[in-house]
Amino acid sequence: MPRIFRYPLNYPYAPSTLHIMRILMLGWEYPPHISGGLGTACEGLTVALARCGILIDFIVPRLSGDERAEHMLLVDSMNGPLEPEERGSQSAGRRRIVRRQSVKGVRTMPLPSLLSPYLNAKTFDELLAAYMSRLTAAELPPEALASSLGAIVERDAVSHYGHDIFDAVARYTSNVLSLSEGCDFDVIHAHDWMTFPAAIALSRLSGKPMVAHVHSLEYDRSGANVNPQIQSIEKLGIEAADAVIAVSYYTAAIIQQQHAINGEKISVVHNGVYPRRVIQKYRRNQGWPSKVVLFLGRITFQKGPDYFVEAAAKVIPHVPDVMFVMAGSGDMLNRMVDRVHQLGIAKNFHFPGFLKGEEVEEMFSVADLYVMPSVSEPFGISALEAINYDTPVIISRQSGVSEVLGHALKVDFWDIDRMSDLIINGLMHEELRQDMVSMAREELRRLRWDASALKTIEVYRRLL
Amino acid sequence: MSSVVFYFQVHQPFRLRRYSYFESTRNPFYFDDDKNRQILEKVAHKCYLPTNDLILKLIKRGEGRFKVSYSITGVAIEQMRNYCSPALESFVKLAETGCVEFLAETYYHSLASIHDSNEFLQQITLHSDLIHDLFGQKPSVFRNTELIYSDHIGSTVAELGFKGVIAEGADDILGWRSPNFVYSVAGQGNGGRDTRLLLKNYRLSDDVAFRFSNRGWPEFPLTADKFASWIHRISGAGEIVNLFMDYETFGEHQWESTGIFQFLEHLPEAVARHPDWDFCTPSEAIERYSSFAEIPFGRVTSWADVDRDVTAWQGNRMQISALKRIYELGDRVKQSGDEALIDTWRKLLTSDHFYYMCTKWFADGDVHAYFSPFDSPYDAFINYMNVMRDFESRLGVAPLPLADVAQMTA
Repeated sequence: MPRIFRYPLNYPYAPSTLHIMRILMLGWEYPPHISGGLGTACEGLTVALARCGILIDFIVPRLSGDERAEHMLLVDSMNGPLEPEERGSQSAGRRRIVRRQSVKGVRTMPLPSLLSPYLNAKTFDELLAAYMSRLTAAELPPEALASSLGAIVERDAVSHYGHDIFDAVARYTSNVLSLSEGCDFDVIHAHDWMTFPAAIALSRLSGKPMVAHVHSLEYDRSGANVNPQIQSIEKLGIEAADAVIAVSYYTAAIIQQQHAINGEKISVVHNGVYPRRVIQKYRRNQGWPSKVVLFLGRITFQKGPDYFVEAAAKVIPHVPDVMFVMAGSGDMLNRMVDRVHQLGIAKNFHFPGFLKGEEVEEMFSVADLYVMPSVSEPFGISALEAINYDTPVIISRQSGVSEVLGHALKVDFWDIDRMSDLIINGLMHEELRQDMVSMAREELRRLRWDASALKTIEVYRRLL
Repeated sequence: MSSVVFYFQVHQPFRLRRYSYFESTRNPFYFDDDKNRQILEKVAHKCYLPTNDLILKLIKRGEGRFKVSYSITGVAIEQMRNYCSPALESFVKLAETGCVEFLAETYYHSLASIHDSNEFLQQITLHSDLIHDLFGQKPSVFRNTELIYSDHIGSTVAELGFKGVIAEGADDILGWRSPNFVYSVAGQGNGGRDTRLLLKNYRLSDDVAFRFSNRGWPEFPLTADKFASWIHRISGAGEIVNLFMDYETFGEHQWESTGIFQFLEHLPEAVARHPDWDFCTPSEAIERYSSFAEIPFGRVTSWADVDRDVTAWQGNRMQISALKRIYELGDRVKQSGDEALIDTWRKLLTSDHFYYMCTKWFADGDVHAYFSPFDSPYDAFINYMNVMRDFESRLGVAPLPLADVAQMTA
């Protein structure tokens, strides 16, 4: 239906049809409550898409109420949009894609969506157990698995896993289907496997095209020990999608290799970064040793924390007064703490746990080097964040970000000798760090989310 | 009468091998012999040997009318001697024709002209002696590493008694003046010397060196006749055309398949077709044509990049730091009296090591825009500093504890 609408100046396409693209986005987390790069990427991309005049409704399993997303409609899969009355006048008048009220006919459970896309089933079970005492009944609504959905997530398989991430995925799927009943949109854009069942079902029911956006693969997260069910959902989603967006050529290649799909369907859209000011107050506050080397991320197989520890052990004899910081949590944390004690380097090691908000800023700011030794990293947005805080980075070659970042030191994750060589030289030579940071900041200017948004819109247009 | 002056640069550095921090203080072998051999053999077979054959043929055909000049660095000669002696012999054959002039430069293709004036003089002497031994002629015209030139360098070279110096015909230096005349080094006063300047005609030189095979260039394809007609057009408005370029232009930068050898083969007769034009060497040009004026250079120039300055070798902090540290070792190295140590130190002065640390073009995201054996300028720097650490330990310079280094550089 034609509407009068003033296109933003940077809307890249001539408004010949006067049609505003409406995108129903399915995501799993949104800042500030994030467990990794997925939420950050969703925020970056949607802000830039909105600047191009794209209308977005973004459904996540659960909102906390402190999310800020004036550029789109952020929707809680259980309770509907985030505080719709208080939304800014800019978007107040616009038509919503999803219904506002919580969904009729679906009995929502008092179970928060604790789902972290990065947790494996075991860890999730542990987390869930903590909440189970508060649950009276954890029933799956009978209509949760619509007939179309049944084909995707087999009921037997789901029940076999019990109260785990698959339950949550199924619940999210049913909520999304209910929320979007009778809604009109142009494209369904789903971020990672947890949202793929919902996207497939919705695409089949509505006949609208589906974009599967791959931020990370089960292969990246688990290496050889993949969860076959997650991998099969991932595969179904990638196969069913009309277009696939990969966050790097590295990931695009793995998608083709793991899922044997037609490469023409895959577009590479690198993540971007928004420039941030360096927060001077954190710079070299009291109490830090003279040199700080930072690992910040989930302490899991994928992120290669073990290589960081082994490299640290080689560096420490050569660099007195250095502190290696391993920030984050994950299933390998205990093993890493044990290994550090075994190596006798505990006094040069610090495990601050999972950091949030200002703590992250402080950590990036005080670090002299940021090391990302990932075994398999689809993108690695944290490397760009580090540069934002004037911290030079050492990144593994097995990462998507190494495709776009020239002004970094690069190393194969398994090459501990080389990694420690780079760390020692990085700490020893201020002139090296300064040259890297000043050039990398220039480079960041070209890695804008706006560029990612234009490529994404190009994917949408091919589907319409 | 007007003349075309050809000068070709021949240089190959001793490239460093991958040298780890953990080897330093333990391993005195710094250079990548295998790679240096491979590269020298490749360049010899693609460029030095076939181009020397062709030049020899043209000289014979020209019966004394076709002349060229070369500057060959000491480190290139050493590598030819080690890895491909036929290449060196073919240069000797060219020298025997009497139609080839060999120029002076720093033996190690170093930046000593900027950083260490004593070392600068010593390297020029070393190089001149080598050229004399090898080719039986004492160089009388000087060309500095990468055509780096300043008034100071000009007067240093004049004091050494050279008849002329070669420099870049940079636009901002020349102003309204044409590069197609002989000029003089500025500020020589009444000393009675008159050391001349030969300035590169960079437009015509780069037409051959860089644009020859560029299909996007409106003048593509460039034939010898067309190029000669551009030279002939200068008649009356200039006395010399200085065509200065890397010798690797022939067969290496411009592959044989581009037709570069046919171009070179036909150029002498195409140029000589005009009765006013011939070929001469730099010292003949200096004798034949009088100086038009002194040219003061307000800055340090080179033939590199659009900037024609020295930022490719000392434009960032890493380069400045590495240069400072290696040159500071000079006195100590020489006091040791250890010839091998002095030779190693000088090989570490070769400008290419610092060029690999350049971040200038890297800024455009065009990481493949220049050739470097390293993944990045940062890798080049780290590798160099690891080698330097070992070298310092051999000199007895105690490696600084890291805490002190951090304070020094903070």
